[in-house]
Amino acid sequence: MSAPIEELAASAEKERDPNLLLEVSGLRTYFHVMDGTVKAVDGVDFALPRGETLGLVGESGCGKSVTALTIMRLIDTPPGEIVEGEIWFDGRDLTTLPDEEIRKVRGGEIAMIFQEPMTSLNPVFTVGNQIAEAVKLHQGVGDKEAMERAIESLKAVGVPDPEKRVKQYPHELSGGLRQRVMIAMALSCEPKLLIADEPTTALDVTIQAQILELIKEIQQRTGTALLLITHDLAVVAETVQRIAVMYAGVIVEQGTVEEVLLDPKHPYTQGLLSSIPGKQKRGRELSVIKGVVPNPFRMPPGCKFEPRCPFAWELCHTHEPDLVELGRADRRSRCFLQTPAGALRRPEFAAAAKQAVRDAVTGWET
Amino acid sequence: MIEPGATSAAPMSGPPANVGPPPETVAATQGPASAAPDAGPRAGASSVASGDGSLLELRNVKTYFPVLGGIMRRTVGFVYAVDNVSFDIKRGETLGLVGESGCGKTTLGRTILRLTKATEGSVSFGGTDVLSLKGDDLRRMRGRMQIIFQDPYGSLNPRMPVSDIIGEGLLAQGMKNSKERIERVEHSLEVVGLRADYTRRYPHEFSGGQRQRIGIARALALEPEFIVCDEPVSALDVSIQSQILNLLQELKEKFGLTYLFVAHNLSVVQYISDRVGVMYLGKLVELADVDHLYAAPRHPYTIALLSAVPVPNPKIRKKRLVLTGDVPSPVNPPSGCHFHTRCWLREKLGNPEICSTQEPPLSEVEPGHFAACHFTDDTKEAPEVAEAVVAVA
Repeated sequence: MSAPIEELAASAEKERDPNLLLEVSGLRTYFHVMDGTVKAVDGVDFALPRGETLGLVGESGCGKSVTALTIMRLIDTPPGEIVEGEIWFDGRDLTTLPDEEIRKVRGGEIAMIFQEPMTSLNPVFTVGNQIAEAVKLHQGVGDKEAMERAIESLKAVGVPDPEKRVKQYPHELSGGLRQRVMIAMALSCEPKLLIADEPTTALDVTIQAQILELIKEIQQRTGTALLLITHDLAVVAETVQRIAVMYAGVIVEQGTVEEVLLDPKHPYTQGLLSSIPGKQKRGRELSVIKGVVPNPFRMPPGCKFEPRCPFAWELCHTHEPDLVELGRADRRSRCFLQTPAGALRRPEFAAAAKQAVRDAVTGWET
Repeated sequence: MIEPGATSAAPMSGPPANVGPPPETVAATQGPASAAPDAGPRAGASSVASGDGSLLELRNVKTYFPVLGGIMRRTVGFVYAVDNVSFDIKRGETLGLVGESGCGKTTLGRTILRLTKATEGSVSFGGTDVLSLKGDDLRRMRGRMQIIFQDPYGSLNPRMPVSDIIGEGLLAQGMKNSKERIERVEHSLEVVGLRADYTRRYPHEFSGGQRQRIGIARALALEPEFIVCDEPVSALDVSIQSQILNLLQELKEKFGLTYLFVAHNLSVVQYISDRVGVMYLGKLVELADVDHLYAAPRHPYTIALLSAVPVPNPKIRKKRLVLTGDVPSPVNPPSGCHFHTRCWLREKLGNPEICSTQEPPLSEVEPGHFAACHFTDDTKEAPEVAEAVVAVA
């Protein structure tokens, strides 16, 4: 950490790039449980400019959802704790904001869509009530106007017959409609940032296509920034401009979608991409990432991916690499192969690494 | 365009005139009027039936679930989960079955295994009629057909050690000697890439991928000929998914297994299947070789399904055929073609009446390629197809 928080807060307006809506730096969220400490998020940095879209990608347990919940300050303390780091949002550090202030931000300036639309809607209130509640809370309008806004926002997300729908309960709606209601609720207060946590994972592919089109359309129409959290590389490829790949609590690679998906630098990203099945891979074995995600109580001492990495050597076992820049501040990889230390090793891995990239993109290369 | 009369009169009359001669199985395949054709379960070779190499033959299988209502809990209707489905699976083949949730694909798999009771139709496994088996005959048949479930957490009893989970089926099949049983369990564990000394552990000690291997070991322990894989990788992360897919493929080659692979993920199905069937609201709407189906789909639903698949290449921006609305309820399916309420092709053709009045039979549009649509001629070289299959085919 560079400077004390008070000092930073005082000079925030001047020193921070006003173009950045969200800036997460050095974020660590730990959970203190009976068996020890789970370092769910262990040093995450990323920035999201106003009106832009970023995908946070990784497998289950990598810390992507905890990152989102930390931004929303929805981590229960205890057992959770924001151990370190800052979350700058529109000139304020959310980690130090008092509870009353964060309540205004949450749902108002930052809205979130969750994976399971059934469990995130309250079954005993009508859909209209639930949307209007947020509107009343954040925009200070009366009952009648709030309900009108609710109808309007349902109309905006393509819910047919919104006047009828506002009077219905969540169980009366299909999965796709419920997710539209969630989106309507999230958008009803015109947020600056929309966080979508696996918004289409529980939906069928044709409904997924509808919802993704809707999210994209709304993002472009309203200019809200979007943080999309998903395990599905194909979903991010179609929806966002930039990607950060997470593994075991840290970001291992980031860049634009084209850079990360067509020229992956980190062995984990390469492995993920090459394990996607497809036609070109028919009749031959799919390449796999050997082993499993490390036990959260026994993280590897060096690089977290080292036990599964095809290129690892002694240094990787003992030291954790930094997220190093690859020519640009927002194109990074956390791998010794991209550092001077790794440069010496690279010749012997060059061919294998090239093959890994080739494997990664076969199947959907045009 | 075809004249509606060609298909409207009776499903028995077969497909539009310009496609190959309609074998009797087209009748066997679809249409309420076609109840159990005289040809019997062994229908002609150039049809949905794949010829002599068939291990499994389904004819007009229907599985309806009663909907109870009122104080008297009387049957007020039916969920038409599987509605008149016919196809064959060849020995050594992997038949993929895709469709959205609620389309009946899982129920179909369970019906074949007698885990769910069929309402009508016949399932023949190696010449034996599965649906009429009873007692010991049925028990013996269960040893030849196994299932791998979707959820590796819900499908293993948390209070049983691995030795019992895998050994239970062996005991039920009459392997009374416990030493022999343990040996078989250990062997199955090794076959699926787990350590033989895991037999005394409990499910909670394993990761999701390892549990799925235990589920596979359980299915293999009985040395079956046929396995229904019901969404075996949907609950797993991508990196683990590929390990399990490789394992399934390896086991199939090693033991000469036949799979019915039920999944909603179209790229997984494309990777593993030889032929693929597409289901919509209880009906089989298209059936073809995997390469045919993914490169030249003929049913508008399949085309829309492929169009909806996102591709991990940011350079490809597909122009989507976004289907409007949701899948209708299987309790009260739409009249005529079940898909007509959401069909983009029907809209494009100016909403022809036949779609809502006549159910299209599953007819052979090309050798070995079946589709149930009145207007398969219009999908032959449709621009929508080219757009939908980009990067998938």
